[in-house]
Amino acid sequence: MRPFLAMAAILALMPFGLPPYAMTLLTEALILGLTAMSLDLMVGYTRLISFGHAASYGLGAYTSGWLLLHTDFPVLFVVPLAALFAGVVAIGVAWVCTLATGVSFSMLTLAFAQLLYAVAFKWTSVTGGSDGLAGIPRRAGPFGMTILSTKSGFYYFVLACLLGAFLFCRSLVNSPFGAVLRGIRENEAKTLSLGYNIRAYKIAVVALSYGLGGLAGALYAPFAGFANTELLFWLFSGQVLIMVIVGGSGTLVGPVLGAAFFMLAEHWLSSYTEAWALFFGLIFIGFVLFAPEGIFGVFSTRLIRRARPVG
Amino acid sequence: MDFAAFLLTQCVNALSQAALLFFLGVGLTLIFGIMRIVNFAHGSLYMLGAFVGYTLVRLTGNFWIALLIAPVLVGAFGGVFEYAILRRLYRRDGSAFLMVTFGLALMLGDGIRLLWGSEALQVPLPDVFSGVVFLLDEPFPSYRLFLAAAGVIVAVTIWQFLERTRLGLLIRATSQNAEMVHALGVDVRLVRSAVFGIGCALAAVGGVLAAPLVTASLGMAATVIIDAFVIVIIGGMGSFLGSLIGALLVAFVQVFGNYYFPDLALAFMYLIMLLVLVVRPGGLLGKEA
Repeated sequence: MRPFLAMAAILALMPFGLPPYAMTLLTEALILGLTAMSLDLMVGYTRLISFGHAASYGLGAYTSGWLLLHTDFPVLFVVPLAALFAGVVAIGVAWVCTLATGVSFSMLTLAFAQLLYAVAFKWTSVTGGSDGLAGIPRRAGPFGMTILSTKSGFYYFVLACLLGAFLFCRSLVNSPFGAVLRGIRENEAKTLSLGYNIRAYKIAVVALSYGLGGLAGALYAPFAGFANTELLFWLFSGQVLIMVIVGGSGTLVGPVLGAAFFMLAEHWLSSYTEAWALFFGLIFIGFVLFAPEGIFGVFSTRLIRRARPVG
Repeated sequence: MDFAAFLLTQCVNALSQAALLFFLGVGLTLIFGIMRIVNFAHGSLYMLGAFVGYTLVRLTGNFWIALLIAPVLVGAFGGVFEYAILRRLYRRDGSAFLMVTFGLALMLGDGIRLLWGSEALQVPLPDVFSGVVFLLDEPFPSYRLFLAAAGVIVAVTIWQFLERTRLGLLIRATSQNAEMVHALGVDVRLVRSAVFGIGCALAAVGGVLAAPLVTASLGMAATVIIDAFVIVIIGGMGSFLGSLIGALLVAFVQVFGNYYFPDLALAFMYLIMLLVLVVRPGGLLGKEA
């Protein structure tokens, strides 16, 4: 608990030290971190490799964007509503996807995400087509509360969502429910033979994961002020999956670090060299070859080594 | 235009589209069959083929030399990449391949931008096929007719290669049971390098052939890779015949869908993919995954 509180305190103090520009980056990093963490529930704890997590993010972003543009609801209500919507849709998606396992499961999630992409592209009257939704406001309220429409106020909102989601996920994976998920990860047949309805568990974890991914997307739309089809594109699904793996899957914290690393590295490299993607690709390959356990793994093994001298 | 002529031109059009998709899909499916790798860089290798082809056409002034040499170069690149990087990872889980091939895709995209610039490059049609032919009195670009024929020829060649040559036999055997092949004294690692190289070369063939139609541009990888995935998934990952069927299905849906339901064509493709996967999770001709 102590590292968690320390981290929360540091993040809470950030708006007092960082320039506005850096705050924008940090807010986006936290939103991406939430996305990666939500995917970790599936990838790291249940070994359900989703190639279509952009579906949850895009669904959340479009829903919250549409609600903010076409209704009077304040951000505070819209964000959880959009997350709920993504989670409910995910039940249907998961019902279909869990008919398959392994690579086929991944491909089904990809198919759904691309289907949503196609819909968002063509259903212009609702989604704005290739332009997407633009000018999404951070509407204040309720009761004249204006804090969420300010930049730092919104940052705290994002931070609260991330920390809340983290506590929720942590207690989830430590609960008997989480034990069944790990059972599915380690040996599906055995878990089934112990009498667990693994399909129901899978559907539940996909719904929760998509719900939290939808929460992240719902935060992104009012943060960026727009939602476009790129949020639903398969490239984004791949990036989120890589954030999870780079950070260290099955650790919850790792994927958040992975997302922050991903974003900061992209930003830093692109300010030094135009060929940032070249180095980015090199970094991925380097990670796979030399640090297969991910950022979190590297950190924790180094720390443990220091704490307990070999002998 | 009477209906028969319309149907014929659209069908040949779809066949030429299917040929381009097939060049990508067959490499992807062979690589998956042998190595269980979902190669995210496949679209980028196709793009690399188009750009290398552009340069060769500029240097030699001959499209056919480019069509011959560019795949060899890209195939060699793929083989070396397999030898240097992928080979170290076969004992690891699939996420390692995801990252490495994704990383390769990023590097190729940026590398191509640095070497060739970000302008779209026009590759001229080969002289022989720059005109039109008349199908039932309808003018039709002869290059597309050539593409359809090339697709048929390459498909038959690969099929015969897999069925009748020793390397083809080893490839089929390795995709069924790599350990047994290894135990029988075959260096499976060489088979893997060869298959990865061949898959990359086929992608490059597709790239060179597509370049005169769509120009060699940096966007071509991202648009084409997902089509290739859809083909392979519909057909069944690892199945040669499946990739052929998938390419035909997707091409016909794209061509006719774009004509009759322009708004729904994109969604159609994914709906078919979903439907196939729900009915047969391993794809039409794939093993149950």
